Amino acid sequence: MSDFLIHVSAVACLYGILALALNLQMGLSGLVNFGLIALFGCGTYGAAFAHLWGWPPLAGLALGLVFAALLGLFFARLGDRMSEDYWGIATLSLAEIMRLVFTNEQGLAGGAQGVSGLPVTFAALPADTAALARLALYAALLVVAFVICQRIARSGFGLSLKLMREEPQLARALGYDLARSRRIVMVVSSLMAAVSGFLYAHYLTFVGPEQLMSHETFLIWSMVIIGGIANNWGVVAGAILMQFALAYVPFVKDWFDVPSDFVAATRLIIVGGGILAFLIWRPKGIFPERIGGSHV
Amino acid sequence: MSEALLELNGLSKAFGAHQVLDGVSARIRPGEIVGLLGPNGSGKSTLLNAISGFLPPDAGRVTIAGTDITARPAHVVTRAGLARTFQLPNMPTRMTTREVLRAGDVAAGAPRHMLRRTGRDDRIDALLEMFRLAHVADLPASSLSGGQKKLLSVALALRGSPRLLCLDEPTAGVHPELRTEMVRILKQAAGEGTTLLVIEHDMLFIRQLCSRCIVLDRGHLIADCAPDELEHNGAVVEAYLGKAVQKGKTAR
Ligand SMILES: Nc1ncnc2c1ncn2[C@@H]1O[C@H](COP(=O)(O)OP(=O)(O)OP(=O)(O)O)[C@@H](O)[C@H]1O
Ligand SMILES: [Mg+2]
Repeated sequence: MSDFLIHVSAVACLYGILALALNLQMGLSGLVNFGLIALFGCGTYGAAFAHLWGWPPLAGLALGLVFAALLGLFFARLGDRMSEDYWGIATLSLAEIMRLVFTNEQGLAGGAQGVSGLPVTFAALPADTAALARLALYAALLVVAFVICQRIARSGFGLSLKLMREEPQLARALGYDLARSRRIVMVVSSLMAAVSGFLYAHYLTFVGPEQLMSHETFLIWSMVIIGGIANNWGVVAGAILMQFALAYVPFVKDWFDVPSDFVAATRLIIVGGGILAFLIWRPKGIFPERIGGSHV
Repeated sequence: MSEALLELNGLSKAFGAHQVLDGVSARIRPGEIVGLLGPNGSGKSTLLNAISGFLPPDAGRVTIAGTDITARPAHVVTRAGLARTFQLPNMPTRMTTREVLRAGDVAAGAPRHMLRRTGRDDRIDALLEMFRLAHVADLPASSLSGGQKKLLSVALALRGSPRLLCLDEPTAGVHPELRTEMVRILKQAAGEGTTLLVIEHDMLFIRQLCSRCIVLDRGHLIADCAPDELEHNGAVVEAYLGKAVQKGKTAR
């Protein structure tokens, strides 16, 4: 049971980093990205390629960061050319294209089979210690991501992002280059997502295209919406909450002795139903954004 | 001839078949306070949009202090020294009045200050006092009344001490007493070196503030004169009242 708790907590930390990245885009800057998982995928596939080519894992991290920065810049570039709603659709499409390419190109990182046998992080340590060490590493990186996001949100730059989010016309009139702001936000958050992906790859020791399914993006959305859009504390809480809620679904299945289909269905209901319920009854989430929070 | 701060040369803009601006040319010298008048729909806001980079003109040229800013993006125009307000001053719901004013300082919001926390700013307090917004400083900016939003948008535009300040109906919905106050503030800004172009329908405000007026009618500049001369200008009277009314008025 304790192993299980450590496992769920470790994954929750990685999702927490993703939730912070999405919050930086969507919560703070109003960049409605439905393709976040593609940026995470840059990290996982960076690790996969490095493994395939016999590079050291850290080279895979560098590769993933470069992929993510380029894809983030491309997303930002698309944002200069279309309205917000279309951008959301475009990001979703791009993520799906990426998944389909990795699924169907057999020569590319194992195609649908993916790449397995990646070294697990801290493999040199005894299993118990390694599990704890991984949890500590992920938690530390979550804290780093949190501090970065919090500092950005409270800086003058963060204020300009909020203005861009709500009154882009006014922001432009005040002299802000919105294209540049978008680029910066997309690169910073894409790097965060890629770090999460890289760690995830070396945690599961497996990278495959089904990790890039769009419902993964919506899981992260549910964390942000339920936790509290534009509240960094909230989205981390949302990530932990959702991760634990989903992790305990199989136990519920056992207790009530229902068929296995129940697990997948219930997860979808928790994610979809959670998003819906919160958007209807508590759109600001459990921890609403603090208005005026930049000057305390 | 003295160097113009703002020079418009044959600016034209059409929306489909609707020619909203038709070869507008004008010069504004440093230190002037110019009123931009015209009936509803005559193209005043469109002209301001074409100048400030929000709407690229179909033809013509705009220069600020000799720099060509035609069809440059809005933030570039702003950084060239032009500040503007909007006819409808929409304000964000999830930022306070003070935060909006703070965001008005582009330097503080520059990416290199990404991780620097915002501090107190005396200039913001002074602006809040000046525009009687101190009591709403920590409320969401969108919750301000229509008139207060107008005041906030003028305060925001003044924040960067622009070379050229273009205001789109700054006093619509503002209490008369504050209007007089606004005249004082804008004259003070002019005294400190800001040139003003003000779109207004309120003639009293125009007379108090402006030294010169230009009048648009259906996309053409039809007059360029002192405020006192407007009512004696046949073209202006006709544009505002129409021919029939003008005759009726003379008959009375
Ligand atoms: N984006 C647009 N698309 C189509 N037509 C437009 C657009 N913007 C303005 N117009 C048209 O251009 C004309 C001039 O509009 P504009 O807003 O410049 O008038 P205005 O002089 O500012 O009027 P008001 O005093 O009522 O503010 C109007 O007939 C308007 O319908
Ligand atoms: Mg107008």
